[in-house]
Amino acid sequence: MSEITLHELEKQYGETTAVEDVSVEIEDGELLCLLGPSGSGKSTTLRMIAGLETPTSGEISINGDDVTDDPAYERTTSTVFQDWALFPHKTVRENVEFGLKMRGVPADEREQRAESMLERVQMTGYGEDDPTNLSGGQKQRVALARSLAVNPDVLLLDEPLSNLDKRLREDMQIELREIHEDLDETFVHVTHDQDEAFTLADRIGIMDQGQLVQVGDPDEVYENPKNQFIESFLGDTNFVDARVTRTTDDAVYVDTDLGTELVLPTDTEPAVDEGTALTLSLRPEILSIDQPSADGGTAADDASEQQLATDGSSRTAVTGTVENVIYRGSTVRYSADIDGTSMFAERTDATTGTLSAGEQIRLEWNGADVLAFREDGTRVSL
Amino acid sequence: MTSTLHRETLENAAFRAGYGALLVFMLLPLLVVVVTSFSASGRVAFPPDSFSFVWYVDFFDSTQWLDAFTNSIVIGVGTALLATLLGVLGAFGQELETDSVVGSVVAPVVLIPLLIPPVILGITLLLYFNEVGLRGSYASIILAHTLWATPLVYFVMRSVFSRFDWQQLDAAHDLGAGPVRSFVHVVLPNVKHGIFVGALLAFIISLQEFVMALFLSTPGTETIPVLAWTEIRQALDPMVSVVSTFLILISVGAIIVAAIATNLEWVSKQLS
Repeated sequence: MSEITLHELEKQYGETTAVEDVSVEIEDGELLCLLGPSGSGKSTTLRMIAGLETPTSGEISINGDDVTDDPAYERTTSTVFQDWALFPHKTVRENVEFGLKMRGVPADEREQRAESMLERVQMTGYGEDDPTNLSGGQKQRVALARSLAVNPDVLLLDEPLSNLDKRLREDMQIELREIHEDLDETFVHVTHDQDEAFTLADRIGIMDQGQLVQVGDPDEVYENPKNQFIESFLGDTNFVDARVTRTTDDAVYVDTDLGTELVLPTDTEPAVDEGTALTLSLRPEILSIDQPSADGGTAADDASEQQLATDGSSRTAVTGTVENVIYRGSTVRYSADIDGTSMFAERTDATTGTLSAGEQIRLEWNGADVLAFREDGTRVSL
Repeated sequence: MTSTLHRETLENAAFRAGYGALLVFMLLPLLVVVVTSFSASGRVAFPPDSFSFVWYVDFFDSTQWLDAFTNSIVIGVGTALLATLLGVLGAFGQELETDSVVGSVVAPVVLIPLLIPPVILGITLLLYFNEVGLRGSYASIILAHTLWATPLVYFVMRSVFSRFDWQQLDAAHDLGAGPVRSFVHVVLPNVKHGIFVGALLAFIISLQEFVMALFLSTPGTETIPVLAWTEIRQALDPMVSVVSTFLILISVGAIIVAAIATNLEWVSKQLS
């Protein structure tokens, strides 16, 4: 049992509010990723759970016990730091043994436990090494072993992978995931890297400007973002300015700079008024790429293609000119000029019919896949 | 390209020659002191007419000088211990309290004794220690010297702590070490060389300090500089040179010990 409850947690440094009104329940055995840009308060939140920072107000409880005022050395949490913070004057084994030594575990038992921890992180045989001579990936493993050695109720990870190169980082993500499944302990992992969060997390908590904006399963936060910040932070997207021209029972019609009126089908009666300014998000994965027919798409063609089907979907297509083509390994990204507005879409490399700069391009999507946000960033439920 | 390099080499050589000449000029008096200590005659002259160890023999026969020597060592060690304790804890505490008011006033307060002329400090402390009944004790001179040595230890430690990775302290707390144990197990091993250097510095400061010691010492607590001054007033004989030679030897020895101590780890790393 190691569930964590944060209740209206707040941290201020002088005039600056680093963390504001963060409340969340982290379940026993869960791997929660706190994801956000730098300065969003995610590390401060983690440090408050660890006891390394004292909250200005609010409560933290672990396993139902209020630990808000307990110092770090009395908590059952253990942290893996961003720079690993290994003790340079101690050997690798002494580093791993440190927490056990502080708990008064006898020397032979300590050594045994340290060895088995080093084995778990695949660092067997490095016990007598000087940690300052290890590579980044090895230091990271030792830091993980050191934290795991004390058998913490909660393992806190403060961007421990951010200083590793891409390949190593991806390997470590999978290893962390395996260790988490093995131990069945509660992990809280802080990262600014959305790929890492999606790889590791049972649930993702997205932080922005000190607030926990949304907590949910990875697919839920990606597909159903609460506001425009989350939509822009989780992967690349095309934002298009729009203005509501009219609404009907089952659709919102908007005017955009794409040279055509767009239809956004709705399930419920739309909660926007005529004239409301919106920002539409068109993710590259909802856009399908085509070459327009030889005579080129005309406005009339586009209009005729824009119909509201009875199943609540609507096909919309626009045409424009390819501005540039970027090969990104597994995908090719096309930037296109659509009636003065720049948009991009992606194709996997294998797709036939490669387009090059200057050629005509046709982008098509289902209006039901488009997300819309108000000027204050809140999402419009469609 | 070649001519620029050539000019640079020339300039470097000229700079080094000038620097070396200045250094030799400043250090030469030390050599004169050492040489005159081996004089056979009863006056200080350079170069001496003849050489002998007669004044060294006299020094080791003189209980007065040997007592002064003991006093200097006792006061020096006492100062080193007290100033190091205060300087290390002051600098450490300030690192933990960088944002607080207390943290911001520590540095200026520690610095104040260095800014007051030692004559003033000496007189003031004499009056003060008379009041509190410390007159004539080792403690009075140790406290006076600590006033001077603490700021030096403090600034050495500030620079040492500025290179310390404070996340290690977080890691120690996180792994269950309380404030005292994390200081002993994690902070201390990282800064022990700095502490050692600071303590040696404090010792040397105390060994050489004259003005405050003159005011505060009594015949029982006379330090070497004080006795040397009293003796010189009567007769300028090579005994002062002998004593000075010992002081120079102790200081140079301390510097060598410090250099070895701070580099031992480096040496052992090179060997392994």
